[in-house]
Amino acid sequence: MGLRDILNEEIIDLNLKATTKDEVLHELAGHLKTAGYINDVESFVKDIYVREEEGITGMGNHIAIPHGKSTSVTKIGIAIGRTSHEIEWESYDGLPVNLIFLFCVSADGDFAKNHMMLLAELAGKLGNDARVEKLQKVETKAELLEVLLAEDAGVAENEVADAEEFDESLISFDL
Amino acid sequence: MSLKIVGITACTAGIAHTYIVAEKIATAAQEAGHQCKIETQGTIGRQNELTAQDIAECDVVIVAHDIKVGGMERFAGKPVVDIPISTAMKSPKSLIATIEKKLNKK
Repeated sequence: MGLRDILNEEIIDLNLKATTKDEVLHELAGHLKTAGYINDVESFVKDIYVREEEGITGMGNHIAIPHGKSTSVTKIGIAIGRTSHEIEWESYDGLPVNLIFLFCVSADGDFAKNHMMLLAELAGKLGNDARVEKLQKVETKAELLEVLLAEDAGVAENEVADAEEFDESLISFDL
Repeated sequence: MSLKIVGITACTAGIAHTYIVAEKIATAAQEAGHQCKIETQGTIGRQNELTAQDIAECDVVIVAHDIKVGGMERFAGKPVVDIPISTAMKSPKSLIATIEKKLNKK
């Protein structure tokens, strides 16, 4: 099984209508419910908020990856949404987001390790600026999948600056 | 000067940040002309595990974590940069630039 197997066009929406974080979570959760990934929207969203309380999921670069383990999850997957509005979201660079990857993970301790490895692989891909730049430009779900699945993301056309300058005092190499 | 950088990432939930930060550090290092290998410690255990040879050959170790990481004893005698996940998330490029600068001064 590969990354392609957990990506499902039924739970990808490049035209989310949501204008707030709460609307984004509900809209994507609605898609997950329709496609049979969760059995209850409200309890799933509630569990997502539990994770949101623990720390920031706006990764910078206009990407958010809300995720949470929920007992309402019946199938592990990842809902992907893009909004035309910028959504206020707690983020590492302080900027709003418009591309949301909602990780749908079972609370069952015995969750499928294979699936979790694929989610990890996908998360890693989102750490690449060149890939994110391309994701912002795709026009179809098929293009989005192509960018996500590409082995090599290439080089970003526009260099993304650090959200914050590294504090040099954090390093001292006096061995 | 091309450096050999190794590192470990580990976030609280072990689902996403661990892997995103690993990629951010590796990309920043490679774009600056260095070799880089990051071991991830998440819910699925250790992946891309550092070998004794990786560690023996490395110039510097970056440990970006919010929870305790395993196997720190492997880095005895090596310069270690110990930072929170959030710092690596926000500042991957200047992190690498600062390491270059400080190692050159040593």
